[in-house]
Amino acid sequence: MSGPLIAFYVISLCILGCAVLMLSFRKVIYMALAIGGVFVGCAAIYLLLGAEFVGVAQILIYAGAITILMMFAIMLTNHEATEPPFQWNARNVASAVGCILLGILILLVIRSTPWPQPDTSVDVNGGNSNPVAIGMALFKQYAIPFELVSLLLIVALVGAVILAQHRKEDE
Amino acid sequence: MAGGAPFPIPTGSVLALAAILFCIGLYGALTKRNLIIVLVSIELMLNAANINLVAFSKLSDKPSLNGQIFSLFTITVAAAEIAVGLALLLAIFRLRKTSEVKDLDVHKW
Amino acid sequence: MVAYAWLVPLLPLVAYIFLLCLGRRAPEGIVTGVSVVLTFLSFLVSVAVFRAVGSNPDQVAAYTFHWLTVGSRSISVGFEVTHLNALMLVVVTLVSTLVLLFSKGYMHHDDRFAVFYQYLNLFVFSMLALVISPNFLQLYIFWEMVGLCSYLLVGFWYFKPEAALAAKKSFIVTRIGDVGLFAGIILLFLASGSFDYNTIFVAAAAHKLTLGWISGQALVTLTAILIFVGAIGKSAQFPLHVWLPDAMEGPTPVSALIHAATMVAAGVYLVARAYPLFQASPAALTTVAWIGGITALLGALIALTQRDIKRVIAYSTISQLGYMMMALGVGAYAYGVFHLMTHAFFKALLFLAAGSVIHAVHTQDLFEMGGLHKKLPLTTWTFLAGALALAGIVPFAGFWSKDDIMSATLQSGHTVLYVFALVAAFCTAFYIFRVFFLTFTGEPRNPAKYENAHEGGWVMNLPLVVLAVLATVGGFFNTPLNGNGLEKYLLADGAVGVTYSENVPLMALSVVIALLGILLAAILYWRPLVKPERLARGFGFLYQLSYRKFFFDEIYGAVVVGGGKVMAAIVDGVDRYIVDAIVKLVGRVVYYLGLGLKYTQTGQVQTYGVVAGFGLFIILAIAMYRVGGVF
Repeated sequence: MSGPLIAFYVISLCILGCAVLMLSFRKVIYMALAIGGVFVGCAAIYLLLGAEFVGVAQILIYAGAITILMMFAIMLTNHEATEPPFQWNARNVASAVGCILLGILILLVIRSTPWPQPDTSVDVNGGNSNPVAIGMALFKQYAIPFELVSLLLIVALVGAVILAQHRKEDE
Repeated sequence: MAGGAPFPIPTGSVLALAAILFCIGLYGALTKRNLIIVLVSIELMLNAANINLVAFSKLSDKPSLNGQIFSLFTITVAAAEIAVGLALLLAIFRLRKTSEVKDLDVHKW
Repeated sequence: MVAYAWLVPLLPLVAYIFLLCLGRRAPEGIVTGVSVVLTFLSFLVSVAVFRAVGSNPDQVAAYTFHWLTVGSRSISVGFEVTHLNALMLVVVTLVSTLVLLFSKGYMHHDDRFAVFYQYLNLFVFSMLALVISPNFLQLYIFWEMVGLCSYLLVGFWYFKPEAALAAKKSFIVTRIGDVGLFAGIILLFLASGSFDYNTIFVAAAAHKLTLGWISGQALVTLTAILIFVGAIGKSAQFPLHVWLPDAMEGPTPVSALIHAATMVAAGVYLVARAYPLFQASPAALTTVAWIGGITALLGALIALTQRDIKRVIAYSTISQLGYMMMALGVGAYAYGVFHLMTHAFFKALLFLAAGSVIHAVHTQDLFEMGGLHKKLPLTTWTFLAGALALAGIVPFAGFWSKDDIMSATLQSGHTVLYVFALVAAFCTAFYIFRVFFLTFTGEPRNPAKYENAHEGGWVMNLPLVVLAVLATVGGFFNTPLNGNGLEKYLLADGAVGVTYSENVPLMALSVVIALLGILLAAILYWRPLVKPERLARGFGFLYQLSYRKFFFDEIYGAVVVGGGKVMAAIVDGVDRYIVDAIVKLVGRVVYYLGLGLKYTQTGQVQTYGVVAGFGLFIILAIAMYRVGGVF
């Protein structure tokens, strides 16, 4: 049991715990907080796997921006809303059974697949620090996808503003 | 054959974590009544996919940055998605005074 | 010079495009100026080409370019110059120039003046391109384009229901002929592997045209007759002549250009151009001769009694085209083409003069005119020149060409056809002078209209004068006096057609016949010794037969249209009770299926998600099961 492995299991437990908590909370606002825990845990996993930049971005965007955005949305709508406890109706049972079956199937597949031995001798960052390597890749190899994504963000931004603004005829 | 010291975290464990997270997210998306929580659950599923991407960027026999780059794109698209999704949610709430999924059934027969 | 012959059709096309760019509101002066100048330039080029070909027969050539490859067969486009089409180019461009000028006066103040000129220029381009085509495919394309222009121009005043109907009728009736032509062209292509005239004619002469299912000789006859069917439609020959009189609903310059001088002559041109093919089949030639003879007689008989000045001339055109076909049919190739040329001049003249009259009195009914020679002296004299040419009086143009045809008919042994032609010649002289006397002499029958009559100004007079001169002297291109110049010119293309010697007694006979016709017209309509009405009553049924155009419209109405309606009713029944029933059955089944399935559409996204998730699971499970080693 090495240090990183122990850390991984602890973090995994935290993530899954937060996720299950999110499912079991009643109040919507608590759920949003629980999801924040999941996001932070994921960021920790990334750091463990050597993806520093992605980990930090994960914290900034998910744990920071998106969670806060969710909070806002909840506050702007029905912030008193609560989820009812589990109801034994057909759909919920079917969902539960389906998700469990799917999970078991995937786990079985993972178990039966012979995973290659990771090649730890290769430095994916090519001697640079991780952010520098990612920057190089983004602006050289992935320049066009990068620009397209920026376009997508702009469109999403404008679209969100237009969708969310008050209009006279809505009154 | 891969060289260097063996990485301490086994591949299967990371993938199993992602799989469980994905199924939790799926369950949430299918059963939760509040539209915001459904969106949140979808984010959970996206995160599960991201874990896989980052894991393979490190834990394959040919490690490369591509997985990390791809997960960055996923994060960006997810951000855009959540922004539009929440804007839609607000608009719907203003019109229908509800944020529950079961009330949004205009496509019912 | 010959290598520049492509300029001839190009210039009117340029005019067309230019006018198109100018738009509908372009000033009349500019529109006319551009059209007339460019067409006149094209006339000058044509004359140069004509002279070049005449002085040096080796100039005759086809200029073709590879266009596309169909299977293993190559299709080319381009242009060619032969003696025949060099002559056609000159005739078409000359008449076009004059008609374009004349239209300035006739169409003055029409709302769609510029559009009219656009159509006319497009027509001139298409016609010239048709003439200059080196293969059947290209010819067919422009053949359809002149048909389209004819449709547009006949229906130019489309707000008049008769004009719209006439346009439709002319298009549909000629279309019947076009189907024949198209079938003929396709058969020739299948048999010879080429659309080119020369390739086909060489193959026909060498008896190399063969298809599996038909003997060589029968194939030649079949294709020749199919091509002739196209000519029947376009040149308004019996039994497809019914569209031409109705086409007179178009503006009169159109009638002069398209329905007298050029497009209707395209049928004659087609037969002349495909002459080697017809020569390879005596049966086809005999058919051409008989159809031509019958048409000549029929047209002349109907023209005797019509009241509408343009319709008389239209039936006259049908009759004269019949003469040309007859000439080609009896082997007198050069005479047929010669008559085509002279007819283009004097018939365009007659139409334009009639147009001048209509322009002056605003009616087409002969019995509302009368005494117009005082008001329209120039029109009177030019019309007289045209009438004399048409009647075939020495030395006017029609005399030379028509008598060549008649003596050729007799000498080739077609005595019955000669009699037809002679009777038709008598009728021709009678009906055209009936028009002349009713229009220009005697007392005005409609004083109000008479008072306002006036000549149309120089733009209308100049074409009349030029054409009158040509109608008077145009025959001298081909007389014994100049050694039959045109005949030698045309026959220089090769051994097409036969020549016949002049026969002075026959000439004298036909002149006497024509004079008798004029005399009869004079005693009926000029200095009435006998009242025409009494004569009409005396002939009773025969008069009605002619006045009602031998009931062709009624017969076609009953047989073709009625038959079409019965067919349509049958097809309609099949469609309604069999095809529709099947379609409706399919629709019903799907409808009730949908009615049942709609209850699955709850509108709940999450329910759909559950179903989709199960589907995903099942597919994955199956895939994993087939891969094996998982469970």
